[in-house]
Amino acid sequence: MIGRIGASPQRVGGRGRVTGLQQYVADIQLTDVLHAKLVTLACARGRIVSIDTSAAERVPGVRLVMTAADLPQPVPRFGPQFRDRPVLAIGETKYHGEPVAAVAADTKDAAEEAARLVKVEYQELPAVFTIEAALDPAAPLVQDADLRPGDKLATTNVLREHRVGWGDVEGTLADLIVENTYEFPMVTHFAIEPHAFMAAPDGEGIAVWSSIQHPSWLQKILAGILGLPLAKVRVYAPDPGGAFGGKQHAKYEPLVALMALRAGRPVRLVLTLEETFQAVRRASARINVRTGFHADGSFAFQDIAADYLIGAYADIADRVVGKGSYPGCGPYRVPAARIIARSVLSHTTPSTAFRGFGAPQVNWAVESNIDAGALALGIDRLELRLRNLARQGEAFIPFDTPADGHWELTVRRAAELIGWGTPLPPGRGRGIGVGIKSGPTTGLSYATVRLLADGSVIVYAGTSDMGQGARTILAQIASDELGAPLDWVAVVMGDTAVVPYDQQTSASRSTVLMGNAVLNACRDIQSRLRAMAARLEGIDPAEIVVEHGVVRLPGREVPIVDVLKPGLGRLGGELIGNGEMRKEGDPGHPLGGSAAFFEFNCTAIEAEVDSQTGDIVLVRHVTVSDVGKALNPLQVRMQDEGAAVMGLGHTLMEHYIFDEAGRIRNLGAIDYRIPTSMDLPLELLSDMVENEDGPGPYGSKGMSEGALLCVSAAVAGAVREATGAVIRDLPLTPERIWRSLQERRDG
Amino acid sequence: MATVPIDLTVNGRGRSLQVAPHHTLLDVLRDDLALTGAKECCLVGECGACTVIVDGRTVDSCLMLAVEADGALVTTIEGLAAGGRLTPIQEAFLDEGGVQCGFCIPGQVISAHALLEANPHPTRAEIEEGMAGNLCRCGCYQQIIEAILATVEAAHP
Amino acid sequence: MQPFAYARPTTLAEAFSILQAYGRDARLLAGGTDLIIRLRDGTARPTIVVDVKRIPELRPAIRKEAGRLTISATTVMSEIASDERVRRHFVALAEAAAVVGAVQIRNRATLGGNICNASPAADTAPALLVYGADIVAVGSAGTRRIPITDFFVRSGQTTLQEGELVVAIELPLPSGPTGAVHLRRTRRRGHDLASVTLACLVDANGVTRLAFGSVGPRPVLSVDSSGVLADGAADDDAKAALLEEMFASASPSPGSMRASPEYRSAMLRLLGRRAVGTAVGRLAGG
Repeated sequence: MIGRIGASPQRVGGRGRVTGLQQYVADIQLTDVLHAKLVTLACARGRIVSIDTSAAERVPGVRLVMTAADLPQPVPRFGPQFRDRPVLAIGETKYHGEPVAAVAADTKDAAEEAARLVKVEYQELPAVFTIEAALDPAAPLVQDADLRPGDKLATTNVLREHRVGWGDVEGTLADLIVENTYEFPMVTHFAIEPHAFMAAPDGEGIAVWSSIQHPSWLQKILAGILGLPLAKVRVYAPDPGGAFGGKQHAKYEPLVALMALRAGRPVRLVLTLEETFQAVRRASARINVRTGFHADGSFAFQDIAADYLIGAYADIADRVVGKGSYPGCGPYRVPAARIIARSVLSHTTPSTAFRGFGAPQVNWAVESNIDAGALALGIDRLELRLRNLARQGEAFIPFDTPADGHWELTVRRAAELIGWGTPLPPGRGRGIGVGIKSGPTTGLSYATVRLLADGSVIVYAGTSDMGQGARTILAQIASDELGAPLDWVAVVMGDTAVVPYDQQTSASRSTVLMGNAVLNACRDIQSRLRAMAARLEGIDPAEIVVEHGVVRLPGREVPIVDVLKPGLGRLGGELIGNGEMRKEGDPGHPLGGSAAFFEFNCTAIEAEVDSQTGDIVLVRHVTVSDVGKALNPLQVRMQDEGAAVMGLGHTLMEHYIFDEAGRIRNLGAIDYRIPTSMDLPLELLSDMVENEDGPGPYGSKGMSEGALLCVSAAVAGAVREATGAVIRDLPLTPERIWRSLQERRDG
Repeated sequence: MATVPIDLTVNGRGRSLQVAPHHTLLDVLRDDLALTGAKECCLVGECGACTVIVDGRTVDSCLMLAVEADGALVTTIEGLAAGGRLTPIQEAFLDEGGVQCGFCIPGQVISAHALLEANPHPTRAEIEEGMAGNLCRCGCYQQIIEAILATVEAAHP
Repeated sequence: MQPFAYARPTTLAEAFSILQAYGRDARLLAGGTDLIIRLRDGTARPTIVVDVKRIPELRPAIRKEAGRLTISATTVMSEIASDERVRRHFVALAEAAAVVGAVQIRNRATLGGNICNASPAADTAPALLVYGADIVAVGSAGTRRIPITDFFVRSGQTTLQEGELVVAIELPLPSGPTGAVHLRRTRRRGHDLASVTLACLVDANGVTRLAFGSVGPRPVLSVDSSGVLADGAADDDAKAALLEEMFASASPSPGSMRASPEYRSAMLRLLGRRAVGTAVGRLAGG
């Protein structure tokens, strides 16, 4: 039957997407809605001297001009980790694009005109945009020290320092020590759907629409700011048009909600793409790696110091730093490790979660450094990795979940697909990288499933389907367990008044956590069906098994619906199942909890380099992930190949370029380049390893970030083999390669 | 503000509208005609999310004033699946896995449709070039190319 | 976008009277692929936008007449790129038109717009320079033909006078066999603004015409009449010295985000060498 586990049916919700009928937030028309526009300054850090709203208020159709003075006092601050971000800038802006006011008008035209006419007198203040500048003892503080009471780092721009380690790095002898510093650029999510927000007074409460990944978390933040019970804050979260982590946490929802309450009318704010660049980005990083090797290629130690440049407000960035750097030594047996990661504040766009969650930065450095060691030792790069790779069950991070896959199978498969070790034509090279990311450390998902009288099914889940295909996976699980064809399964998401609580859609958790919650809800229904069948047949429930859509009775099996209909009787009705899945934390753990699973990927590249221009042609890009069990193999492929292409973006072309005032010069799609269909590798091959050894339904693991983790190092390794150029700064632009080759020629 | 009368045909239906000269075709499709299939993203003609067909050729509707479409035949994504039946290219996008978040997909489907109208037997390179004006951040390019190739294959087995 | 009025003249005379009435407050709209971006970001603030696409005098798009090919100013890039006559006689122009943006842009962007914006990176400009195009401008005083070498001043500025309108671009048909090519550098393979854009034309007499853009305030033509560049037997050092001389006027801006001046300079020379090689090869191949 279609929809069963391991099949690849058309995606649930796909029809609306190919016909244009799918409604994203900006497509929803509310009657009487006001259009909002943000007012920003032309610099990063500006002291607000005065704001004159009179001209703006005179624009016909303008209903509200909101400044910090019009907000509840003190101006509410919010954030998922620290309550540091004000609803509107207080006293001074901290980054270019931070709003100092907002206007709401009957039309977009009026709102835009009024926003232009809000006159802000301000004084530009010294600001920091780089790690060096932020760490200078004389640097201006990004965050007021009084926002960080009792924090001994409060007089610096270091928000936090994360230290993890084991063994004795200083005391471990090594035959070879390789030390290098690597840089990872500031890049942005560039979801094709710019963030969109709406709010409307709703009885005694508020309704908020947002392209948010975590509707339940947003509900909590809004309830706190507005002083409302959770039940009076209704968050609608239509499926986001791409998120990649950039839509996890509240951004302008509190502002829009306060505007709607003040205006007494619905208010909508749809960001421009440029404004999204100023709202979300990945942390740049500078990573120093000192790797100790024994002569046989086994690791003696890893000593990693990573500075991540986060933005002006923490958002979830410090968690990104802590969690992303934590598996920095990779999936290897490392006897001694020291990882020190700092989140460094700056007057730039607040960085936030972004596919890979802080792991790609350190992976780039450590995997590249491993290549450098292999070269120095004369050991094949694949061989060296395999020699050190943790075997299943091995506690490669001593205080965490042991290796949860036969990872060597993944690495060997990637090597086979790239033709590792076979002869190469001149000008070509190969590279290989291995990536690992800790899955969720805590989690809580609830699901409700209703089996209706005709055998059709409704699944209620608080997960957001932002393209990863959660609707399809959850529908497949319900279809498989309850025997309904896939097109008889509806999946309801994105409305906190309707669906039960879900902690969040992040860390590739939904298949595992929400998937198990849905599975448990289906099992709840199955147990009711078993009782029903026992009653109908007059036998002991222990003689009955309900699974995979059928009821097994002694000597025969019948479809669920054949028990359901007589069981429900003349009044009809339905069976309702509830399911829950928890991943408990561990307060003593450095991350607050062990990994629910690891995402494991191996990427291998064959590249050809034009040594005169520095142009790279990716002849073949292989990406293989350990997914436990592919519930939908096509979706696994789409996630892995999509992540690979995204990884090629920051590897080859993406980076913010700043001016001296801290403004992003390449603000927008013309000069911030992302891959197009012409920038694909000549061959992009993905594959998966399935040993049904994951904690998710049917042995699945979370996936969708893994294939991005180690793209950079694999490409750089291929470039080095092709040309000899060693590049430690991303992106690997033709110019950087050309320069490196020039220096080699000159040197 | 002074508006200008225009007459155009959108998805086969004649429309007479009063439009502001500074409103783009995208603005008018979305805000005045409630055809929200064409999406707003970059507004500089780079991403293709707003792609529609005007007089037989794809354009970025964010870079065309609505008044310029006076007298034009416009096809948007809403005009493809006549009578609720998906076109072969729409089916192929779903079968081959060309759709993730879906936000770029109306533009992708329109571009793919126009590409095949103009060139029923495109090579892979021609598809890559012909679709380069439609960004997909989910990175579904490979599946989209396969969907187009599959459509060609099905039409000319 | 700030409001403006809109006019759609149906004759050149009508267009001139609007231009005369509004002067600098009027902006001409052809394909709109540059203008609408500027209207939106506020760097263009006209009171009236004059759409020239429905003036019959600007059609037909491309016509072959005695000794020349005339391309009307409102001809879009996709028409130019696919036109058989352009491809046969002016392949570098067809190649340049084929890389102006992605297909949606090429379906709108016009040749007239591309040159009147006078972007140093305009891809069609080097091709028009090597082919010795004339810009046909009409004003209230009449028609004049501006050699393209006299057209570009600097970014955003041409030698057009106020009230003058480009109606066509004329390309003299080559008298004998030629070989030509357009090459460029971009940050990705997908559509992009060029960090170097260059065209090369070699004729049967051995004259090599190289034109290049995006490496200075305006696109520039440089001609080798000595025959050395196109001579397969000539000394490499002599060619290198000659190329050095021909590119001497290039001065890539240090303020560019797309590439450094050093890299642009190096790539200009490299593309120049490669283009000469390709053009010579095409000439030989017929």
